[in-house]
Order: sequence, then structure tokens, then C-alpha cells
Amino acid sequence: MTATKNRLIAAGLAASLVAGMATVAAAGEIRVGITMRMISENGQKYGQMVMDEIDMINKAGGINGNTINATLLNDECKSDKGVANATKLIFQEKVHLLIGSTCSSVSLPIVDVTAKAEVPQIIPHSTNAKITQKGSAWVFRVPVSGRYYAGVNAKYVGENIGKKIAYLCAADAASQNDCEAMQSQMKSQHGVEPAYAAQVQEKEVDFRTHMQKIKTANVDGIMIAALAETMARALTQSYEAGIPASVRRIGSSSASNSPVPSIAGDAAKGVFFAAAYAAADRRPIARLFNEMVRKRYNINAPDHDFSQAYDLIRIVELALGRADLKLDSGSLAADRTAIRDAIASVENYQGLASGPISFCAAPTPQCRDGNRTAVLIAYTKGGENYVTEVLARVTMPADFGL
Amino acid sequence: MDFDFSSLFAFILFGLTIGVVYGIVALGISLIYSGLDIVHFAHGEIYMFGAFFGLVFSEQVGVPYPLALLSAMICAGVLGIVIERVFYRRLTRAGGGYTVAGMGMIICGFGMSVVLQNIAFLIWGADAEPFHVDLGEPYQFGDISLPKSYALTAVMALFLMAALHFFLVRTKLGLAVRAVAHNKDIAFLMGINVPLMISLIFGLACALAAAAGTLIGPMQSVQVEMGYLMLMKAFAAAVVGGFGSLPGAIVGGLLVGIFENLGAAYISPSHKDIYAFLLLILVLMIKPSGLFGVEARVKA
Repeated sequence: MTATKNRLIAAGLAASLVAGMATVAAAGEIRVGITMRMISENGQKYGQMVMDEIDMINKAGGINGNTINATLLNDECKSDKGVANATKLIFQEKVHLLIGSTCSSVSLPIVDVTAKAEVPQIIPHSTNAKITQKGSAWVFRVPVSGRYYAGVNAKYVGENIGKKIAYLCAADAASQNDCEAMQSQMKSQHGVEPAYAAQVQEKEVDFRTHMQKIKTANVDGIMIAALAETMARALTQSYEAGIPASVRRIGSSSASNSPVPSIAGDAAKGVFFAAAYAAADRRPIARLFNEMVRKRYNINAPDHDFSQAYDLIRIVELALGRADLKLDSGSLAADRTAIRDAIASVENYQGLASGPISFCAAPTPQCRDGNRTAVLIAYTKGGENYVTEVLARVTMPADFGL
Repeated sequence: MDFDFSSLFAFILFGLTIGVVYGIVALGISLIYSGLDIVHFAHGEIYMFGAFFGLVFSEQVGVPYPLALLSAMICAGVLGIVIERVFYRRLTRAGGGYTVAGMGMIICGFGMSVVLQNIAFLIWGADAEPFHVDLGEPYQFGDISLPKSYALTAVMALFLMAALHFFLVRTKLGLAVRAVAHNKDIAFLMGINVPLMISLIFGLACALAAAAGTLIGPMQSVQVEMGYLMLMKAFAAAVVGGFGSLPGAIVGGLLVGIFENLGAAYISPSHKDIYAFLLLILVLMIKPSGLFGVEARVKA
């Protein structure tokens, strides 16, 4: 009964997003390679969801009669493994399309691999602005770029929190970019320099020295840009150091990931951040999605990495349906180009993201950062059963932050 | 601008609270080294297992934190004894230190580290687990907040060190342990059950690592990868204090903790992990045997 309901929800969700796909039968196999960070419980579930969705597409008849043969590899958020995975998928598996990766530090070097091999790459989670600034004609990004997040955060912070901000920036590529972009936006929008700024290790465990210094600096807010678990530790230790709740905690986009409220507990309350999707979204499509993820993956409130992975698959489904694929032994290069052009033609896709996603042909960030709508979210309750609220939803101009 | 003595005091306090934890792990490493003449490279994973044991007892079984700490120590002690008896015993029989078997032990330690990490991954997964211990409001020293968990860590660590000292110096069993550590052959000739004492040394060292893990859990959360950095810092502490010296391990731990916190505060916070090893290099340059180590003179 529950399984049937799940299928109905998923089918309803897919049907509301993708319509009018041709179903001309042509036996063939579309090879899709996926490399993602699969070391955490949520990481595994993002990958599982991508595979489940592909499986459902195949069961529903595939794409124009062709089945998708997906290979999912774990890059553990390590750039060397990511490049090895991409190389294997491109040259050994001869994939038509590469999906990946989760971490910006992995996606960045893969962009060079896919550009050289001329394989379309679509990114599910990485936010580092440099990914699309490399000028590759083969890369597309579904998540919101860090440059948009920084603009939204800086505007909100300057107008509502204050201008004396401390920054703790972890050494991973996404956090570094989030921190730099936020500092740059605070300077350009409000003319202020950081009150305190320090880089910490990617998996730092002891922030007490920083917190003591931040406490004596009497700041209005602390921006913690780090991967989820590191951020959660920093949040907890900020309260242990005696920094009051009136000093607002600002998270980088990874604050959206559930380990932040789960580990930080009460310390997560009041933390706000810009993300691509809010579980508190009241749109019917979002409620259906939340219900599906809850039932299928036992996740109470899906974060934006779930929604972005889901949107990505729908965009891939849409693009593959439009692409004129031959899928024979001599057509690999032509098929890859056709898929790239089909993704570039996706316009005004309305999915789970808080705004439309549109790509275009030019190899520029304006064309390849398809999602420009950030939603400002705050935790109103921490712990396993955390609760969020939406503070604002902002769509940025395509060339913002360039 | 006036120098902020309050912050300096806070940084030293933070250094001491983390330093005692380094000291406990270093104590275990030194204990094993003094008893078996080998460096145990899986000790970081024992520390990680200990933290998970503490977490399970505290959050899932629901026992009070001090009892969870004791239970974790017992479980890790038993785990250590089992590992020693099943895996290391054959190699230690053939000799330790600078022998082929000693090298085998080191490699076996590396292997054990990987095995234990993977077992932990299978049991608890890769996600960090929060370890909530609510001990009430933090202590306030002027502008400095000291959470009670930090104070408890320092007190428990000092208590454990004192208890170990009492055991080794004031009990007959402790005397036997020291005799085995000093010279296994002579200890055997004196009627001491050397294999049993070696197991005891291993169990004690692992119990200490578990105590450190359970104490640090509430400060830093618990995860599978937590052992590596602690092992490195504890090694630095053990070498700074003098490898094999038990008081040296404690002093080394405290020095490493204070040095890295002051370095992070006044030199560069971005390279906090470097300072422990900088101190290590400095001490080795000035006194190669470490602060409390005995200089061994080898004749050609």
C-alpha cells in the first residue's frame, strides 16, 4: 500500500515537471556517469535518489525508447578520486553525460577533464563560482552559484544584522569561495572590511581560540563557511565561548545540510543561510517532494542537495528527450554534442528550485549558472526534528558578482 | 593597544583542557612503548572506538556520563586485550623494538588501524554524531566562559593520571608491570607472568585512550575519522615529553596543547595543527630524547 502510494507520489511529481516527451522507439543505451560524495548517510541517499529516479525513467519506457545505463561512483569529496572517476567514466565507460560532483573541490578539476574530452557535465551540488568561470562549453550548473548566495547574504546582513562581521572559513573550495564572495559583497555593498577573518582546516575540531578572539571583537554576526559537520562544531563552540545569541550566526550554503541542526542542536537555532530550496516551501510540488523523500529515504525535511539532485535528473530527462541521439558505435562524439546542446536549450524549467532554471549556449557563467534564485532560510529549532522558516526569496541578475 | 591578559589566560586554559587529553592518549602510547618496545599506530582508532563506546553508553543505554566513561574504558580495555592476544601476541613473542618482529608489529598496527576504522564505519557510519552532555551553565572567570565539560575533562584526566601513577608505583601488580617494562627476561626469571602483564599494559593503554575519546566527545562530536589527528598530536606529546616516560607524556601533552593554542592565537590561527610539530622539532633539536627521556648511548 505504502509502496503504491510512493510510486504514485513520485509519478505525480515527475508528471508535473516533465511533459510532452516523444516516445519514438529506438533501441539504444544512453550511458550516464555519476561521481558524487557518498561517504555520509545523506551523501549516499543523494546518490541513491539519482539512481532510483533513473531506474524509474527506465521502467517507464526510458528516453524515446532508449534506456539509461547509469554508473555511480563515490569520489569521497577528494579531487584525485573525482578526476580518476571522471577519467574512468569518460574513457573506459564512454559515457554520454557526466553528472558530478557534490564538492566544489572535486567539480573544479573535473571541468578541465570534461572540457578536454568534450563530454557534457552537469553539476548537482557544487557552488564555487569558478566552476563556470573557467569558460568550458561543456559544463552546466543546477545549484545556485556562490556569487549569488553572497549577494543575497550580504544584502540581508548589512540591512538587518549589522556590518561588523567575523568570518571563519574552512579550507575546502566551496567554503573558501563563499567566504571570499561574502567579504567582497560586504565591501562593495556596505563598504566594510571583516572585523575578524581566519581560515580553518576543512575538518577542524577546536574553534575555541577563534571564538575567544571573536568574542573580544564585539561583532554583530559570525559567518561560518564550512562543510556541515565542521560548521555544526563551530556553532556549538561559539555558544560555549559565551558569544550571545544576539550575535547572529550566518552559515554558508552547506548550513542547509541536515547534520548542521542535528549535531549543533540548540546552537543551530537562529542560524540563517542562503540555499536553493527550503523544506518549509509551501508549494504543492515541494510538499509532494518532501513527502516522497520522507517515505523513501526516511528524511524528515530534505535539504537543498536532495532537491538539486532531483531537479538535475528532471533536467537531464528533459534534455535527453530533446537530443537527437544516434547511439551507435560511431556516434559517441556527436551524441555528446547533441546532449550538450539539448541541455543548453533548457529554458525556464520550473522545478523544486525556488526560481526558474535556464541555460544557454555561450560558455559563460551567465549562461551556465542556470539557477539564480536563492532563498534565505533560518533554523527556528535545532536537533533531529529541526524546523526552518523562509526569510526571503531573491532572484539575482545573471551577471551579478562577475 | 593594551595587551589582553584575559584572553591570554583563556588561551592557556583552552590549551590545558585539550592538552590533558593529548596527555592521556600519549600516556597510553608511552605505556605500550615502555612495555613492548613498539609504537602502536592503531591507538588513534582505539581512541575513536572509546568515544563511540562512551556515546553508546551515554545516549543509547542511557547511563550517567561518568558511568559511560567507566564503561567505555572497560570495553576498550577488553578490546585492547583481545587485539593484543589474537593479533599482536605472535609478533611480540618474537621480540619488539628494532627487530624484524618489531617492524612487523608496526606494520600490523597500521593494518589494525585501517581494519578498526572500517569496522567503525560499518557500525556507526561516516557521519559525525553529537555527544550531548548537559552539565549546566559554564563557569565564568571574568570575560572567560569555561563549559563544565571542559572542566570535567581536566579533572577526570588528572584523576586518571593520578590513579595510573598510584597503580604503577604503589601496587604489587603495578610493580610487576614496571618490571616487565624494564626487562622482560629478568621479570620472567623473577616469576612474573610476562604475557599477562603485557596484556594488562595493552588493556590499560586502550582504556586510557577510551577515556580520552569519551572526554573529548562532548567538545568535538564523535566520528570515524577522529583518531588520526589525535594520534599525531599524542605522538608529538609523547616525543616532546620523552618516548616511554609516563610523566613526560603528560607534560608533553600539556605543552603541545598550550603551544598550539598560543600559536593559533598570536601567530596564525589558520595553521593551528603545525604548532604541535614545530614544538616537536624544537624539542628534538635541543634535547633529542625529549624532556623526560633517558639518553641511550649506543656503542659501535
